[in-house]
Amino acid sequence: MTEVERLFERQARWQRQRQALSWPEKIRLAERMRATAEAFRRQRLQRLAPAPPERSRPNGN
Amino acid sequence: MKEVAALLNAMCDAGVVRDYALFGAVAQMRYTEPVATLDADVLVAVPEPERIDVLNTIYEFCRERGYAPEGEAIPVGAWPVQFVPVFSELTRDAVAAAEIVDFEGVPIRVVSASYLAVIALGVGRAKDFTRVLALMESGAVAPEAIAALAARHGLGDNWQRFARRFLDDRG
Repeated sequence: MTEVERLFERQARWQRQRQALSWPEKIRLAERMRATAEAFRRQRLQRLAPAPPERSRPNGN
Repeated sequence: MKEVAALLNAMCDAGVVRDYALFGAVAQMRYTEPVATLDADVLVAVPEPERIDVLNTIYEFCRERGYAPEGEAIPVGAWPVQFVPVFSELTRDAVAAAEIVDFEGVPIRVVSASYLAVIALGVGRAKDFTRVLALMESGAVAPEAIAALAARHGLGDNWQRFARRFLDDRG
């Protein structure tokens, strides 16, 4: 087994431990994940939104 | 989620719904690792399912208690709640057979693992197949139990296709 495979195995074992958390604790984790996902979504929407048109100055400059 | 549980129980006590049960990702998390989800999905058995405005009384009940709808969901505490009227014999049975779970001192009805898996099998999107696999991997439900329940509800072919696609080639 390579070092990377050992790393993956350790990480998978660590991830599986989360399955043993209580349901309310998992729900709280999901709430945090959702808050993060929503923040990303807001940022993306802001990036995609067209910039407000620049006002032309009365003298044309 | 405690606030959601209290609201759903009050709704049941008031006769606005005959019965309810959480399903979808929030219910799945009883058995698996936490998963990212935006909404809490609730199956509801309503007293007059033939009405066109079947969710109106639910929305009215929520509004009277200060929960106003936003889009297709009603935000309750931290969770946008989506109400889904039972839409098949499978979902009706899933609500009837739901388990009562204690959520920090408040009882809440939750669809059990085998019904969650078979409902997901019936819906059939990629994320639903992921749910079926996650439930099996967690040991919450055996493939044989899913196969039997799926067959009972006319989803035997769905299970066969799923098994061929995801289980036959497992190393």
